[in-house]
Amino acid sequence: MLTTNMKKGYKKWLIALFVLLLAGGAVIWWLFNLKYEDTADVKADYTVNAANFIKEFRQDMTGANKKYSEKIIIVNGTVSAIEMADTTANIKMIDTSANDAYIIFAFQQQHLAEAKAMKEGDKVSIKGSCSNGAFSDILETEYVTFKRCAVNK
Amino acid sequence: MKKTILSLALVLATGLLFAQKKTTTSATISFDATTSLDKLPKADNKTVIASLDTKNGKLAFEATVKSFTFSNPKIQEHFNSKGWMDSDQFTTATFKGVINNVKNVKFNKDGSYDVTVSGDLTIHGVTKPIEAQATITVSGGKIKTTSDFTIKLEDYGVNGPAIAAGKVAKEPRITVAADF
Repeated sequence: MLTTNMKKGYKKWLIALFVLLLAGGAVIWWLFNLKYEDTADVKADYTVNAANFIKEFRQDMTGANKKYSEKIIIVNGTVSAIEMADTTANIKMIDTSANDAYIIFAFQQQHLAEAKAMKEGDKVSIKGSCSNGAFSDILETEYVTFKRCAVNK
Repeated sequence: MKKTILSLALVLATGLLFAQKKTTTSATISFDATTSLDKLPKADNKTVIASLDTKNGKLAFEATVKSFTFSNPKIQEHFNSKGWMDSDQFTTATFKGVINNVKNVKFNKDGSYDVTVSGDLTIHGVTKPIEAQATITVSGGKIKTTSDFTIKLEDYGVNGPAIAAGKVAKEPRITVAADF
């Protein structure tokens, strides 16, 4: 038979378990609903010049990837090409003195209009998450891809 | 004589125009591993490199794995982690293949052509032969290639508790689109 003290202790454990389950549920809900911030509002880890950035990757791809991969970077350079598809508008900065090695920027949905408004030859500042640099066997040159980009203001 | 040389030059130029290797750096690949339990494992890669040789039908794709963009940062992190795609080690997924019945495709005439594509798909450092249906649409000098197929993650050494728990599809759908 349960004594009064035993009942009180049992109740305390139940409340603690309930609070724990509630907290756990809240964490899971929070993780499930996590979204990326607007890149325009995110602080950059690095600010670089396009030509120097490409040079870093060409000289030491492994080192550059270790340094820049998944970091938020502002790249200052000139628009070489705008590539439009059904739902995309990518901006490219090509270094014609470096075997046409290039950086390509894929924009966040809310900033797509900014990309579409750009013209070849525009001097721009783009902020985004650097995915990776690699050597393309297809194009026989180096390239660096960015995602979740926005114009840096 | 001059007319003959000019005619030959024009024929050669036209032939070269339509026989050249075409490339794009903005092909897209979508990866959909959603299940009834989890709608989050879904991503797009919009900076895929693709090439198409209209003469011999050779087709190739290169996709930076970290460029597959998920809406949820935690899923993005898991996808690239050592236990999944291990994208620090295996930075690029590739396809090298050929359009099997390329002679049936008139690249200089507007139209829609159903084709089969076969070749080697390399994901997570593992290469497997695949075959898929694709559609080539020619319109106003532009060539659009689309394809929709599934892969088995375990064939490429990608498995984990989330798959076993039914939160990630064992055979995600891959959708490819390239405009040349």
